[in-house]
Amino acid sequence: MAVAVNGPILSLVGLTRRFGEIAAVDDIDLEIEDGEFFTIVGPSGSGKSTLVRILAGLERVDSGAVLLRGRAITDVPANKRPTAMVFQSLALFNHKTVGENIEFAPKMRGVDPRARRARALELMDLVRLPEAYYARPVTRCSGGERQRVALARALASDPEILFFDEPLSAIDYRLRKMLEVELKDLHRETGKTFIYITHSLEEAMVMSDRIGIMRAGRLVQIGPPLEIYQEPRSRFVAEFMGEVNVLATGEAGVDGAGWLVVRPEQLRPLAPGEAADVVFEGRIVNDYLLGSRKQFHARANERMLIGEIAVGAGGVPGPGEPVRLGFDLKDAVRVSE
Amino acid sequence: MRHRISPGFLAMLPVMALIVLGFALPILLVFLYSLMPPRTFSLAGDPTLANYRAAVTEGYLLPLGWSLGLAGLTTLVCLVLAWPTAKALVRFAGRFATLATILIALPIFISESVRLFGTALFMMPGGGIFAGSLNALFGLKIGSILYTRTATLLGMVYIHFPFMLFPMVLGLSLVPQDQIEAARDLGARPFQVFREIELPLALPGITVGTLLTFVLSLGANAEAAILGGQAVIVITKAIEQRFGYAQDWPSGAALTVLVILVTAAVIFPVLRRVDLDRLIRR
Repeated sequence: MAVAVNGPILSLVGLTRRFGEIAAVDDIDLEIEDGEFFTIVGPSGSGKSTLVRILAGLERVDSGAVLLRGRAITDVPANKRPTAMVFQSLALFNHKTVGENIEFAPKMRGVDPRARRARALELMDLVRLPEAYYARPVTRCSGGERQRVALARALASDPEILFFDEPLSAIDYRLRKMLEVELKDLHRETGKTFIYITHSLEEAMVMSDRIGIMRAGRLVQIGPPLEIYQEPRSRFVAEFMGEVNVLATGEAGVDGAGWLVVRPEQLRPLAPGEAADVVFEGRIVNDYLLGSRKQFHARANERMLIGEIAVGAGGVPGPGEPVRLGFDLKDAVRVSE
Repeated sequence: MRHRISPGFLAMLPVMALIVLGFALPILLVFLYSLMPPRTFSLAGDPTLANYRAAVTEGYLLPLGWSLGLAGLTTLVCLVLAWPTAKALVRFAGRFATLATILIALPIFISESVRLFGTALFMMPGGGIFAGSLNALFGLKIGSILYTRTATLLGMVYIHFPFMLFPMVLGLSLVPQDQIEAARDLGARPFQVFREIELPLALPGITVGTLLTFVLSLGANAEAAILGGQAVIVITKAIEQRFGYAQDWPSGAALTVLVILVTAAVIFPVLRRVDLDRLIRR
């Protein structure tokens, strides 16, 4: 069978890896398109690191297969896979210079020193590292510079797929935001397939073409960022997305089993006499200014509700004041698990 | 104004005293004796280089050569054997590694001579443990390597192996696993991982192990005496004989100084290139 040129670059078929009783990766099927930015999001212990380590060839599988453009690579060792990983720890070679780190993969392949150097300088330019850093020991680079060295080093092996195992998790907020944008630009410029691991859905939203939410070794929902945000298929996904209200159907006076997911911006303070499908009487506990929006927490029927309104769009009573809150059922997402 | 003595200096005094009395002074005495006329027992004689001349002309270069050769070979064999052992111990840290470490370290607590006599019993021809068992169980009759150079080398390796292994384990445990994985991920074959990552990062431990093994091997004589019979005369044996049986202190002292100089010539260039602090700081 001829493999379609624009078929999936990577296919995972029934991939399973157990550690003792626990399946870190539990029967995962997944197809990743060529040139895609795919992000796997999950809490710690969900098996996302194990999954990406399997794909890189650093972890063996108990059953299942990994196919690269239709060819099984399940038992191909890491050094023979056309992939490269940016590690969480970065794993820079601390006994080598910036240049030697970046040139590592070409050197292993026997590329001559002059060509290696030219390629390293090209990549340093791409990841915005000044040329003067070439001969500098990596131990004398700052956190952000080390990130760039790790990225350039992975790119230097000219991989078909780049893996990222939470490389930005140890970086302060502002630098992280900057690197997220740079990474997205880099993805567009290189046209390579990026597979990114993170525990932050916010980070995934910024960069990804598609997101896979992982829980206890399984991918519980896969889709474009907006779809995951607007149509979570379970309470887990909804709650993982951040601050949402999850109400049992009975609580909202709706028939049938399940839950309603109501995002903060869908819960509005009601003017006297204003109607909504579901109404709560309660008291404001606190409010927080989030730049252009204001978030408020309210207590109603022994539970906390989170709402958000645009600053200047009507008012919210101050903390301690009684309030009527409501939402319409067409805005809520109903989930069964 | 009262003169202040820093606590650091005070804390250092006992060790300083020990080094001066127990190490520097005896070495100085040996050096002075090596310059005295042969077969004298006083430091009052006229200084002479006669003992050094005799050391070269009266055939002591051969035992020195044997000592250096055996020490070098022992170090080499230990290096080759310890590397895979150390890798296994670091890789499978846990119950297996603890057990293996105990098994390797335990013999150190038993006197070296006892262990070597045990080995000799094991190697003995005919009624020895190994040959005797083979004969009794399978009717096999074999010869023995006891009292040969090979037996001496085996004994040296057996005695000095832990001194190579444990510093090497320490050195290897300094190599971060993620750097090894990164190297593999970037296309390094196992030998390239060894050359580019493991060897440079474990070098301090390997160097310490190599120096320990070499220096201890150079000073060893029990292996040659017990397992080597008369096949090998090492320099330490010759020195012992000069001081004891021959009652020629200046001659023994001159040989001692020669050994010290040779050892220093090997060690100092190596030590200068190694950052021992890295190993200790971890």
